[in-house]
Amino acid sequence: MLSDLYARRALIWAFANRDFATRYRSSVLGWAWSLLQPLATLLVFAVVFSVVFRIVPPPLGADPSRGSYAAFLFTGLVTWNLFNSLIVLSMSQLKSNGELLRKVQFPGWAPIFGASIVQLVQVLLELIVLILMFFWQRNVGWTWILAIPILVAMALFAQGIGLMLSILNARFGDVQYIVVVVLGALYFLTPVIYPMSMVEDTASNLVIFIQANPVAWFVQAMHDVMYSLQAPEWWVIPGLLLLGVLTFIVGLAVFNRNSEDIGELL
Amino acid sequence: MTDIAVNLEHVSKRFIRHVDRRNSLKERIIRGRSRTSEDFWAVKDVSIEIPKGSVFGLIGHNGSGKSTLLKLMSGIYRPTEGKIHTDGRLAALIELGAGFHPDMTGLENIKLNGSILGLSRKEINDSTQAIIDFSGLREFINDPVKHYSSGMYVRLGFSVAVHMKPDILIVDEVLAVGDEEFQRRCEDHLYSLRRAGKTIIVVSHGMGQLESLCDEISWLEHGQVQETGPATKVIRSYLERVNNQESVRNAEISADRSEDEGSLRAGSGQIRTRSIALRNVENKPLDHAETGSTTRLAVTLNAKESILGPNVRLAIQHEGGALVTMLNNHRLGTDLGVVNGDFTVFVDLLNTPLLPGRYRIHIDVFDHTGAKLLDNWSDALEFPVRRQRGEIGQGFVELPAQFTLSTQQE
Repeated sequence: MLSDLYARRALIWAFANRDFATRYRSSVLGWAWSLLQPLATLLVFAVVFSVVFRIVPPPLGADPSRGSYAAFLFTGLVTWNLFNSLIVLSMSQLKSNGELLRKVQFPGWAPIFGASIVQLVQVLLELIVLILMFFWQRNVGWTWILAIPILVAMALFAQGIGLMLSILNARFGDVQYIVVVVLGALYFLTPVIYPMSMVEDTASNLVIFIQANPVAWFVQAMHDVMYSLQAPEWWVIPGLLLLGVLTFIVGLAVFNRNSEDIGELL
Repeated sequence: MTDIAVNLEHVSKRFIRHVDRRNSLKERIIRGRSRTSEDFWAVKDVSIEIPKGSVFGLIGHNGSGKSTLLKLMSGIYRPTEGKIHTDGRLAALIELGAGFHPDMTGLENIKLNGSILGLSRKEINDSTQAIIDFSGLREFINDPVKHYSSGMYVRLGFSVAVHMKPDILIVDEVLAVGDEEFQRRCEDHLYSLRRAGKTIIVVSHGMGQLESLCDEISWLEHGQVQETGPATKVIRSYLERVNNQESVRNAEISADRSEDEGSLRAGSGQIRTRSIALRNVENKPLDHAETGSTTRLAVTLNAKESILGPNVRLAIQHEGGALVTMLNNHRLGTDLGVVNGDFTVFVDLLNTPLLPGRYRIHIDVFDHTGAKLLDNWSDALEFPVRRQRGEIGQGFVELPAQFTLSTQQE
């Protein structure tokens, strides 16, 4: 199953190249645009939530006397965006490549992975901005290394779900609307705009829901290693990796099992 | 290794036609599974062996299952029943340039399309030059394909597909594209693939092309194989069937062509044209007229009251829209006298000077003064004219004319 992916890597790259080439081709600023959206979100949220709602950020790992809401928020946003964008993009790929899938025989996951690769580059750019932000805050630590396995696990997890949803969406056209609503709800059940400590203080009956949300685990781990500069408990990162790998494998298996006659569905 | 390139064993493909398709989750949940679904067998129990190195054609009417069969062979569809075995790399030209992205340049699209069709990056790099040369689009190769004409688009698509060096090439009606010169180049290329021992499977409506290209042909009808065999033989029986069906249809049309068909009628209605039929001089019904032999148009009318000397006028129109001529009994000096009740007027087209094609007849009936319209029936009859021997000719009519030679100075 996984060897198929390797065998058709040229195809995946071709789709990735296509998406790279076309994504920002017709705009002057090109990739700069791709950063504008998360940075604008960051600016608006930072102002609204720290000034209007007076959310107090947790203490920075390097200097517990200070906190930076913007840095806290952006850590969560980058992680959440990785999850959110991979799912939304994957979901629409079968439909948007339907013309092609109806006429040429090739594995349906190829355009999905191609699109995801492009999205991962986007996440990488956001990550660079985040790192610059932390340098500016002088909040640097070895635990940053741990962000790599966390993000890899997050990407695999999101991709696995995305693969399953893409099949479902090819069959039922309204799945994407439902998913967008669910993702919207999940967003608020994830400690992106608020720190977990705040929920524990003010709405302790919500804690259990947040703890049941796997996306929250990833985001919290990222907060730990990037913002608080703490290594999470030893089992957290292997656990997340396991979750990611399993979800991906299951997602791919479900996809393969149901995509053989995808050309007829579209 | 066998010498069969594509082997179809009792292959069937069923499509489920939902009368109201529940393709949203909401509907599925609220109303349950669709009950009013209908099975539709697009391909039914097809067994074909296509030998390696042969050119195999598929013919049949639109909707007979040809394209479905091609999609089954190329793996886009899975057979509902039966087995398909293919031996060798397969390339399908179901639609040329299907994977082109309008914003990308020709060159970028070559690479993308190549990988979609299954080429490795090395193979693509090796053949890029040949693809560009074959397409003849060198000057435009760095322009986005959205600026290409449809012909250029297809040329590029064809060039990519034939350069993936397939063992089996599937071609669906794509040869009818591009200009004359490019078409010839495509055909040449197919012949060279054939010489190289590749297997080619073609769907086309161009019988001449198929006959010259194919070794064997399968004729499909309603998803089933009607006949498989040598190209010439199958094409002949296919065309025979098509011609027969056409005659039957025309006979039905002329038999049915009567007043009650609800066509818009004008005129006072004192006379109504009941029917018009095509016959020969022995009054036997005909389904077509024959250039050079007399055709009789039998027009049956009904007068509601006694009418003195009506004038029946037939306008003969060519399928292209041109009016060929108008005939009426007054001009030809025939007085119908006083008519009442049913009567039939025979209009004999002596030696039918019409050239092969389709013609339509419009009928007008006037009173004896020619000023009052009693009945009007547009598109009363449409009939084909054929010719047994000789050339089809140009124009609509064959004027009775004579050529003689004179060397005398005038």
